[in-house]
Amino acid sequence: MSETRLITTGTAPKRTWTSISRKPVRLSDALRVVVLTAGALACLIPLLWMFLGSFKTPTELAQRPPTLLPESWGLGNYTEALSRFNFVQYLGNSVIVTIAATVLTLAINSMAAYALAKYNFRGKNLLFLLTLATIMIPLQVILIPVYQVVASLGLVNTLWGMIIPAAATPTGVFLLRQYMLSIPDELIEAARVDGSGEFRTFVQIVLPLCTPALAVVAIFSVMWRWSDFLWPLVVAQSEAVYTLPVALARFNAELTVPFNLILAMGVVSTIPVLIIFLIFQRQIATGIANTGIK
Amino acid sequence: MTTAALVTSRPPRTRRPGGWGIRIAPYLFLIPNMAIFAIFTIYPALNGFNMSLYSSSNGRTFRWEGLGNYEQILTSAEFWTVARNTAVFAVAYVLLATAAAIAIAVLVNAQGRGKTFFRAVFFIPVLVSPVVVGLIWNWMLERENGLVNTALGAIGVPGVPWLVDGFWAMVAVVLVGVWMQVGFYMLILLAGLQSIDPALYEAAKMDGATSWDQFRVITLPLLQPSIVVVVVLATIHGFQSFDFIWTLTGGGPVGATMLMVQYIYENGFQSPIRFGIATAGGVLLFLVVFALTIVNWIVSRRREAV
Repeated sequence: MSETRLITTGTAPKRTWTSISRKPVRLSDALRVVVLTAGALACLIPLLWMFLGSFKTPTELAQRPPTLLPESWGLGNYTEALSRFNFVQYLGNSVIVTIAATVLTLAINSMAAYALAKYNFRGKNLLFLLTLATIMIPLQVILIPVYQVVASLGLVNTLWGMIIPAAATPTGVFLLRQYMLSIPDELIEAARVDGSGEFRTFVQIVLPLCTPALAVVAIFSVMWRWSDFLWPLVVAQSEAVYTLPVALARFNAELTVPFNLILAMGVVSTIPVLIIFLIFQRQIATGIANTGIK
Repeated sequence: MTTAALVTSRPPRTRRPGGWGIRIAPYLFLIPNMAIFAIFTIYPALNGFNMSLYSSSNGRTFRWEGLGNYEQILTSAEFWTVARNTAVFAVAYVLLATAAAIAIAVLVNAQGRGKTFFRAVFFIPVLVSPVVVGLIWNWMLERENGLVNTALGAIGVPGVPWLVDGFWAMVAVVLVGVWMQVGFYMLILLAGLQSIDPALYEAAKMDGATSWDQFRVITLPLLQPSIVVVVVLATIHGFQSFDFIWTLTGGGPVGATMLMVQYIYENGFQSPIRFGIATAGGVLLFLVVFALTIVNWIVSRRREAV
């Protein structure tokens, strides 16, 4: 361990050779930093390239060989994308779908989890198993039958049609139930003695105690819904209800939209999730480690 | 109030007697979630088997086909191309993603300073919308002017026909898929690595074991439960890949990277619409993924038992 501490930063492997250190740097440590740095660059360069490209003009993008930095850092592409398409509307749709779906998921998942964690009732185990079993049935394999249901309910071309069908996530119920099992029964019992109704106990006593688990479910729901593509693509057949990913894919397929504008939209759709990640890094890491959900 | 007081005065039982509220409450709590489950997952899943026995070109009028859809699918050359593509992609993706995730997790875990930094950076591609991932890489892999071929040219490697040639397009799809997801698998493995007792490595070092020996004899066996999780998830992800491929290759060139989900989507939603074929395709995909998941668990259990 003492050798690894000598490596000061991951981004500058050369420094390990020139840094003043008490012990010699081991070759294996240096090699590891080089490999990790190469991998890190492979992860970042495509995103950096998109970011740089989003400021370039079509002429610059067509140059051969490609130029590294844009000639100017003006926001021309961004303002043009905003004015030329209903970009604000797609952005708004994405925000509405993401927030509404997350709120709905949190509400119904936590209620179901509470019932499964803190009550004894007939059919409890069966319902819990049934919930877990639906992990095996992803939307992709029942795409057409779900679409039939949504169509018969008149939800095609509506935001609700995107929000509702996938809101009852089995992983969310599972994660919240596991967390609620750790809440002492006495607490709930005491609330009952004080005359608190079942629903009030749930909202005022149980939910506040579950904040960490609710946060994990919320973060994953937001990240997933924001990027979700196949289901919104199927439901959003008219432009008014396009979400950002659907709009991006559709415009990219029609080759009439200049690529610099597509890149600008791509950057705008990427920034929110990056910000969420930077804020909630720790919760995301533990959430994945505990459940393997995404 | 009276019922609540009664509850506390009685000795504890396994089943709470409770009032009407307590007995009915769990069902009320479950209703919203279970209703959505039933309407949008369980009913469609069952109805899928039924729908796969009919044909329809508009989603309103259905004609009984019996096993005709399956017969039509299983005798069509297009389906077998798609099935082969899906199998090739999934196998290559699972192997490469798992191997890369193990390598990255072990390297990141061995890192002292900068561990959190590397962990974050490798995870960043997971966050980017798959549609955007496909767009960026489609642009970067452009044959004449793309960043990748330009970089290769700079070190004297001739340009690769990435998205133009069927073979190279498949290579690109696999690599981009791994690029996009490997950070997610890495996080699962990192959690597994952290639960391995460091004393084991100390003991091995004293016995003169090399780093490779330590990896082979300590890390791999003890990491196995996490590796199984990664393989299962990667298998499921691999067979369901669609979104980034849609903007990366669109399934081309000439269907060389068209996978099962795209086949289902196109039959279901692009003319000529063939609902029966699309639904039957979904049923087949479900059976394959289901069978593979079961096999995965059985194999991993047996290994644990030995």
